[in-house]
Parts: sequence; structure tokens; C-alpha cells
Amino acid sequence: MSSIDIQNLNFNYQPNSTTLSDVNVQFEIGQFYLLVGPSGSGKSTLLKILTGLLPEFGGEIANGTFSIPNQLKVGLVFQNPNHQFTLDTPRHELEFVLENLRVDPELMPAKINSALAFCEIESLIDRQLNTLSGGEKQKVALAIVIAMERDIILLDEPFASIDPQSRAELIAKLVTLRDQQQKTIIIADHDLLGYKQVVDHVYTIHNQTIQTLSREDGLQLLTDFEKQVPAITSTLPIANLEVAFNFDELQIQIQQHALLSQSSLQIPSGKVTLITGENGIGKSTLFLSMAKLMKFSGEIQMNQTNIQKIKAKKYAREVALIFQDSENQFLTVTMREEIELSKQHRKSDYFNDAMITSCLTQLNLNELLDQVVYTLSEGQKKKLQILLMLIVEPEVLLLDEPLKGLDIDSIHQIVTILNAYRAEHQQTIVMISHQFSGLNQFVDYHLNFANQKLTYVETVS
Amino acid sequence: MNPSFKLILIILISFEISFTRSLTANCVLIAVCLIYLMIHKIKLKTLGIVLLIPVIPAVALSITIAFFTPAQDYHFALVLFSRMFAYVLLGTSFTLINSPIELARSLEQNLHLPSKFAYGSLAAFGVLPKMKSTILTLQKAALMRGITLSYWSPKLYFKALLIAMNWSDELAQAMLSHGYVEDTTRTYAATIPIKSTDWAYMIVPILIIQPLLFLLP
Amino acid sequence: MNLSNHYHVRDIIFITLIGIAFGAIFISTNFIYNFLTVVLTPVGLAPMANDINMGIWVMAGPLTGFILRKPGAGFLGEFLAAVGEMFFGGQWGASTLISGAIQGIASELGFTLTGYKVYNWFSLCLSCLTTTIVTFAWDMFKNGYAEFHFGMLILLFVVRFISIFFFGGILTKMIAALLDRSHMLAKFGGSNV
Repeated sequence: MSSIDIQNLNFNYQPNSTTLSDVNVQFEIGQFYLLVGPSGSGKSTLLKILTGLLPEFGGEIANGTFSIPNQLKVGLVFQNPNHQFTLDTPRHELEFVLENLRVDPELMPAKINSALAFCEIESLIDRQLNTLSGGEKQKVALAIVIAMERDIILLDEPFASIDPQSRAELIAKLVTLRDQQQKTIIIADHDLLGYKQVVDHVYTIHNQTIQTLSREDGLQLLTDFEKQVPAITSTLPIANLEVAFNFDELQIQIQQHALLSQSSLQIPSGKVTLITGENGIGKSTLFLSMAKLMKFSGEIQMNQTNIQKIKAKKYAREVALIFQDSENQFLTVTMREEIELSKQHRKSDYFNDAMITSCLTQLNLNELLDQVVYTLSEGQKKKLQILLMLIVEPEVLLLDEPLKGLDIDSIHQIVTILNAYRAEHQQTIVMISHQFSGLNQFVDYHLNFANQKLTYVETVS
Repeated sequence: MNPSFKLILIILISFEISFTRSLTANCVLIAVCLIYLMIHKIKLKTLGIVLLIPVIPAVALSITIAFFTPAQDYHFALVLFSRMFAYVLLGTSFTLINSPIELARSLEQNLHLPSKFAYGSLAAFGVLPKMKSTILTLQKAALMRGITLSYWSPKLYFKALLIAMNWSDELAQAMLSHGYVEDTTRTYAATIPIKSTDWAYMIVPILIIQPLLFLLP
Repeated sequence: MNLSNHYHVRDIIFITLIGIAFGAIFISTNFIYNFLTVVLTPVGLAPMANDINMGIWVMAGPLTGFILRKPGAGFLGEFLAAVGEMFFGGQWGASTLISGAIQGIASELGFTLTGYKVYNWFSLCLSCLTTTIVTFAWDMFKNGYAEFHFGMLILLFVVRFISIFFFGGILTKMIAALLDRSHMLAKFGGSNV
């Protein structure tokens, strides 16, 4: 047997909700696989089943089997680089891992050094993991899998928050592992850039099951993705527009990594400005700074006032950040309670009960009022989250990847509601997005974030 | 000195001075700890900050004992005052010199503490800085909806518990995938020995401190 | 019966994280303690700042005991938080560890007395009461409470009980109710047995 063999696999977390159904697929040993699918489609679930983390940590295999060839061991690199280490430094973590595998202490230093050398991160050995960048942490995570001598390496959206260079370096390392050591690589990702030259097979995950693409179809999918052009039109902001935000010598950094260094920038008031840029470049961090959740040097002015001089409570009511993780915005248990809570602090009666009901209907949420918010689907959570923040009527909305993982209907519903509200209130919207479908009539201006700078781009369709 | 032995020594002494009233013993302990910290080249600034911590409660408590109790016992007021500094210096003699991982390894190897307690709590301590910023984020997110989450708001604790749940699930999964299995034997990258000098370092100070505690005022 | 069998590594991480999260919330109360201490000193009531704040410091114990419903949870909730505080927090040193252990035993005792079978208002109040009594007894020595006259002791005891009852009792019950309605603990799985 020379492949991982999955037959009729059915998995569910709750007794009456299926996450994976009838998965029949083979992964051949020594090949590089890309598993593509939107967030929440079951990619992580499948990888965790193969690693043995599920059903150990919840759910059950309702039906079916999977088998891994004799003696071959499976290792996993997680999506969130912050929650995969037990100890404080790469050296200690690697020692911990080798201790767990009952490796002879005498052999440990050599194994640790060679794993770190392979990933070219010897200099990080005694650094505090908490001070490393996302990319560095993922390299440490890979070094651990290598030190553990895993034959099958699974990676669950490992590049979600890391910069393009680290991503390219990591992919190159994985290719080396396949070519020189016959390791099997399976990466789950929704961003398909940079895989065309390296992967052997592309599988898609859709409707709870896996489709295997032929080599040609797989290549086609990756080629199409790379050719995809942002289908939005935007102009450069004209002079003497009313300005919502003004950046003055703004410098943002995390630990020692400089993210943004902007001598001057204006964001127009009452308009929609889209911010694009590679993963890990600092877009979310910029929003945290604009929401006064993160320190920065230089000045950010809102309506000509330095935001550091505006009281926290007042500022929070004017500038609302729609967090990427919807759950951050919830405070109670059911949808009804969340809406009641937002209603308590409305500024006007624009969002009266009739209006709220009509929005809920438009967003297909009206039947779910008594559901626990944490059990909603990701799309439902996002729609509710945006509605909750509209009800409190902030002057500025900062939307961090609001469309990620949403289907096209939900995107249209959200854009419709934002547009209707904006027509009435002339709200300023700044939005980070990797996704452009459905945004064409919505966006006024487009800022690109690259090389620690934000620049307006003009796109003509 | 073996970290477990050192911790036991420090706890025993801290415990004993809580029940005894010897100003001399407290002062000797403070002096010994200061010398010990100096020998280990602790920055004066760090030491200064450490010594500032107990000032308000120490002053307040000794004033109360000295002037607002039936006995108005000035000696005991000074005992309490010095006791607080002794606690802090005894503690920092450990925490500024021994790292949590050294202690965890020693507890696992020398005192046979189940490794899940040592490494489970270390994994949690690793996300401490992120927990602080996450709590601030929660409070800010509420503020954006006009709600102030204070330390008496059940909602804030509820959210904190949900986060603790999510993170503990992720961290435990990470440990498992890093080869950790509860209650199985492991090898040790660094063996923490118990030397005969460790016994001496623990027993001799305890013997010396007894007459000070019980015979001197 | 081996207590350690009741705990998987995930439970230990969870309990430690509760302590850490609560510690992060309490940081904002440090100035209240200092302010109260300074204000109350001239009237001879300085120790009362200690008693007023006691509920905040000990609430992790009754809370973890009440939501995890296992022997030892109340103790671990308080003690692991103290270990974290010793290394990363207030530097109160070894006395943090001793106080943590004593507070942990104190809140555990309430659940022990009901044989870990009853988890309702009664057992929670009992845990608040044992916490008050045991921590107070400890302060008789550690903070010299034994010197105070009887009236003052009664006052301090009552204040401490009110504080612990508010944070460890009322607030804990409200938090547990939210958690219960969210069904999240059941989803977390296995812990709430």
C-alpha cells in the first residue's frame, strides 16, 4: 500500500449536522497535494482526522474508514501560528517534542540543529516565540515536524497571516522535502497563488465532500486564479474632498518588524475606500491602530482632531471596527439579545423595529432570532455582526475582510444594506478585502498596501 | 541549587515568618536575599521596582497596627512592615533567577509531578501577553456598541471563558500533535540532578533561621 | 482515587487560562486597592481595602469549581492563577503561592462539604463562606488581624464575606448562567461530567 486511503468517510461534530459526507479519496505517498475550499468547508476537519486529533477532541466518525500506510507518521502545521507551541523558545519547544518521542538526550542537539538548519532559522533558536513574526513561527512549526521525522506533512491554511516572502520560502522547503525525502505534503488553502509550479494534484472540497481534479483541470484552476484581475473600477480621489482621516508621519510596527511608514495620506469622508495588499503586510494592524487598539508613532487625525486627544468612549462610538473574527463583536448569547443590546445605544431612530426586521429578512436571519450566536454559520455570524454595528450608527466603519468565505448571495445582501444605510447617513467606510466580486458599484477609491506604503490606485474597467 | 528544593525552602520560610514575630529574622532574611540578588547581578532598577510594590500596603498595615489597635504594638507593626519586604524578596530570589521551564522540569523529574500539570500550565502562560490584549479588544468591541465592560460585568467574564475554552482546545491539540501523550514516560533533554549540596542548601538555612525566629525579637 | 486522573491536559490549560484571563481583568482594579488603602489608613481601616477586594482575587476558585464540577477544580483554579502571578504578575513573591494555595483550599472546601454532588446556590454560597472563613483565619496571622479589637474583626469579616459573595457567588452564578445558555461548555466536551 502506498497511499493514504479514505473510504466513505462521514464526520460530524454534532449528532445532526454533517461536516464531511462520503469522502472517497486517495493521497499517494511522495506527492504534493493542494486541498482547496472556502473557510468552514471541512478542510481542517479532514486534516485533523488524519492526524488523529479528531474525534479525540470532539465529533465522531459516523461512517467509513481511513488508512495510512504502515509505519508512516503524520505531522500537522496549524493555521494559527500563535497557539501551537507549549514552551517559550524554539530550542525548548524542540526539546519538549523530542522528549515526548523519547529520543535519547544525546541525540537531541544534532536533530534540533539540523531541523533548524533545514528551515534556515538557526538564529532564532533562543528567541522568545512570542516576539517572532507569523512567518518565523510557521518556519519553527515546520522545523518541529521535520525534527519529529514525519513522513506525511499536513498544513492547515498555514499561510493565512504571513507575508508573501515567508510563504514562498516555506513552499520551496516543502518542495525540497518532497523531492529529496519523498515526504507527502497536503496543504489546505483558499489562496491559490504560487502553487502552479509545485503541486502534483489539486483536490477541491465542496458540499462536504472532496472532488479530485485531473492534473489538467487542477493546473487550469491555478492558472485561472493567477490571471484573475480585480474587477473593480476606482478613480483617484480628487483634491479638496472632505477628509475623514489624515495620517501624518504614521509609523506602525509589531515587535521589531516595521509594517507601515507613511508620511502623509488622506482618506475621504463619506466614501468607500478599499484597501488591498498581500497577507501579513499589516492591513489589520493598520485598522487596530485606527481604532486605537494598538500603539503607533506619528499622528492619525479624524476630522482634523488627533485621535489620541479624543476620549476612548467617544471615539469608539464614532469609529467602529468590524473584526475579522465575528465572535469578537458578540457579547451575549442569542441573536435577539445581541440586537436588543445594540438597540439600547442607537443614536437615532433610523433602525426602528420595522427597519431591523426588514434588514433581518433581507439577510435571511429573521428565522434565527433565538439561536445561540456562537452556533451560527460563519456567514450568518458575519451578517449579524455587520447589522449590529450598523444599528449603533458609527460615523466610520472599518471592515476587516467582511466578505471572506461568504457566498455571492450573502455578499449582495450585505452590500445592499450598507448602500442603503450609506445613502441616508453618508458614512465613511474603509474596507480590507481580498475579494472583489460584488463590490464593483460599491467601492469609490482603492488603496494598495505594499512596501510599507499605502498608495491610491486607479483602475479602469 | 535544585529549583524544587529552592522553592520548597522559600515557601517554608515564607510560611514560618507568617506565624512568627521576629523583626531580627525578617531583617536578616531581607539582607541575605539582597546579597543573593546582588551576587546574581540583578539590575538595580528591577530591584527598585520590586521593592516599591509592597510600600503602600506595608506602610498602611503597620500604621493601623501601631495606632489603631488596642495593644498599639510598635514592634509588631515593624514586624509586619519588614515581613512584606521579606515575602517579596524571597519570591524574587526565585522568580528573577529561575525560569518557569527550569522549575517545571525539576518538578517533573525530582518531585514526580505529572507532566501534564507542568506543561499544561506552561502552555497557558505562553499566551499570557495575548490574553491581555484580547481582554482589551473585548472591552473596546463593547465600547463601540456603547457598552462599558467593567470588572463586575458578567459578560466580560463570559467572553473571557469562551476564549479560554477555544485557546485551551487549540493548545491541547498542538501538544498532542507535538507528540505529547499524558501519563507516559518521556526522556529529558536536561537532567536536573539532586546533589547532596542541594540537601545542605535547603536544610542549613532552615536550621539557622529557627533560633533567629524563636529566640530573637 | 487519584485526583490527577480527573484532569486532562486541556482542562489544566483551560483552568490556567481562566486564571490568566481574570488576572488581566483585575489589573484595572489595582489602583482601586491602592486608593482605598491610602484613603482608609488615616481612619485606621487600612486592612479593609484588602477585604473589599478579596472577592475579586478569589473568584477564580468558586467559579472553576462551579462550572467544571470536579474534585480539585476550585483549588486548581485559584492555585494555578497564583503560580502565573508569581512568575509574570505582581511579584508578590512566595506569599502569592501560599495565599493561592490557601484560597484554593478554602473555595474547594465548600464543594467538598457537599460531596461534589450538589451544584446550586447552596453549594456556591457554602464555598463563598468557607473561602471567607479560611482566608480570614490566614490573615489573622499573615496580616496581623489578631491584633484588632473584636468590633473591627466583625466589620472586616462581614465586608470580606459581602465581597466574596458578590464576586464568587452572585457574579459567578450570572457567568455560569450565560455559559449554560450558550451550550458552549457541553460543546467543549467532557469537562462538565
